Amino acid sequence: MSRITVPIGPQHPLLKEPLAFSLTLEGEHVIESTLRLGYAHRGIERLCQERTYVQNIYLIERVCGICSHVHTTTYCQGVEALLGIQAPPRGLYLRTLLCELERIHSHLLWLGVQARNIGLETIFMYAWRDREIALDIMENVSGGRVSHAVNIVGGVRIDLTPEHRDTILKQLDELDRQIDVLLGVIENERTFEARTRNIGVLTEEQIRRYCVVGPVARASGVDVDLRRDAPSFPYDQLKFNVPVRPEGDAWARTLVRTLEMVESVRLCRQLLTDLPDGPTTARAKRRVPPGEVVSRTEAPRGEVIYYIRSDGSDKPARVKVRTPTLTNIITLPDQLKNIAMADVSVVISGVDLCIACADR
Amino acid sequence: MSQSLSQIRPFEEILAALQAAFPDDEFTVEAKPIDDTYITLVPESVRPVIELLLEHFDIYHLSTITGDDVGDGVCLLYHFWSGYGITLRILLPYEDLHMPTLTDLIPGASYYEREIQEMLGVTFEGLDIPGPMFLPDDWRDDGGPVRYPLRRETGA
Repeated sequence: MSRITVPIGPQHPLLKEPLAFSLTLEGEHVIESTLRLGYAHRGIERLCQERTYVQNIYLIERVCGICSHVHTTTYCQGVEALLGIQAPPRGLYLRTLLCELERIHSHLLWLGVQARNIGLETIFMYAWRDREIALDIMENVSGGRVSHAVNIVGGVRIDLTPEHRDTILKQLDELDRQIDVLLGVIENERTFEARTRNIGVLTEEQIRRYCVVGPVARASGVDVDLRRDAPSFPYDQLKFNVPVRPEGDAWARTLVRTLEMVESVRLCRQLLTDLPDGPTTARAKRRVPPGEVVSRTEAPRGEVIYYIRSDGSDKPARVKVRTPTLTNIITLPDQLKNIAMADVSVVISGVDLCIACADR
Repeated sequence: MSQSLSQIRPFEEILAALQAAFPDDEFTVEAKPIDDTYITLVPESVRPVIELLLEHFDIYHLSTITGDDVGDGVCLLYHFWSGYGITLRILLPYEDLHMPTLTDLIPGASYYEREIQEMLGVTFEGLDIPGPMFLPDDWRDDGGPVRYPLRRETGA
């Protein structure tokens, strides 16, 4: 049978961000695929070397348009370690609250995109409607819906009043109800299952070989979550489960992410009810003593790692960013092999790619 | 605790095994903040050390490879994670920016190596590179000298 090469991207309705695929088809099935990144490369790592530690927070917030807060959290956590200071407990609780809200917002956004690719427009509408609740809460907390500019070296620049807290707890109840509805659909809807079961399967062995992280790894039975396995304060004080599924297909990834949202709501409630009193920031010097640090956190898509080297000045000598998408995207050529052209969109979006993150 | 992490081995045990397996090598060990330990070694030892980490300790998760132009050469840091961080650090002099690829041991390393090759000009022998991944297709075609964006000599 003759082969056809189909280019997808860098600008394509299927992809929300610029990324180029080249798929080689034999009949209906993909035989081979290659991909190319770089269309959203902004040279952020290099730009970080030209700016002060404080200015970098605002630059790093723009690495990602969805999980912007987790990037500044990882960066600030690293700089604080270099400075030898610790943010006060109240500051860390508020920081973590936004991290968890961001996880809910990111997963709901992804669920909408995935549902639309499958053809379930209703779920797309529901998921994005419910995402508004998460965005409203974040607006309540930080004043911003996507970019929060909350983290500073030494803590957070915001605080919550008791009235604030009660409003947010009510909004969380509503969010919880809606996530339950979505969970029911994912577990019971036959169309959803038909389009995602046994599609884009990754085995545990492949996950380990490709160093895959986050929900994609957990949907293939690799039980790893930095919030539990390398807990930083306050995760070591909180109770939550880490959902894991053994199937490794697009269906399991959807379920894992939805169950994670349930856990995140639970975490948010704990963070709000146990919120300690006290200041939200610790004083931080402008100049950072020479040293190196590797800072890791669990972003919505998996492990984010920052390497920061200081030469003693007020600007970092090197900032290296590795986002979860860059490691998860490497599995796509394997996942796309031998699947029907009609399932390509489900597989590509099933990984939950953030190209702005991967390109930096 | 997860299944794969239930067998976390203490760092001292790993270091003792490395020193026993490579008695002629010198390992400089530094503790770093946020639960990370750096081991500085010579470039030739990286592959055998990683083979040992994979085979005997099941440390398979390579978080990333950082390339850093430190002034007297390019430093490569292999950040591993297995319940805590282990980072292998080597320094490649500017005259000899070559490393054997890790992709046959850890296929997940390929994008990290490609990125370092593009940004810092370190050649990874045996690495399959179909084309640029981050930089524009015509980055090297303007007739001027080759510019590596993360090298010190290249301005921002």
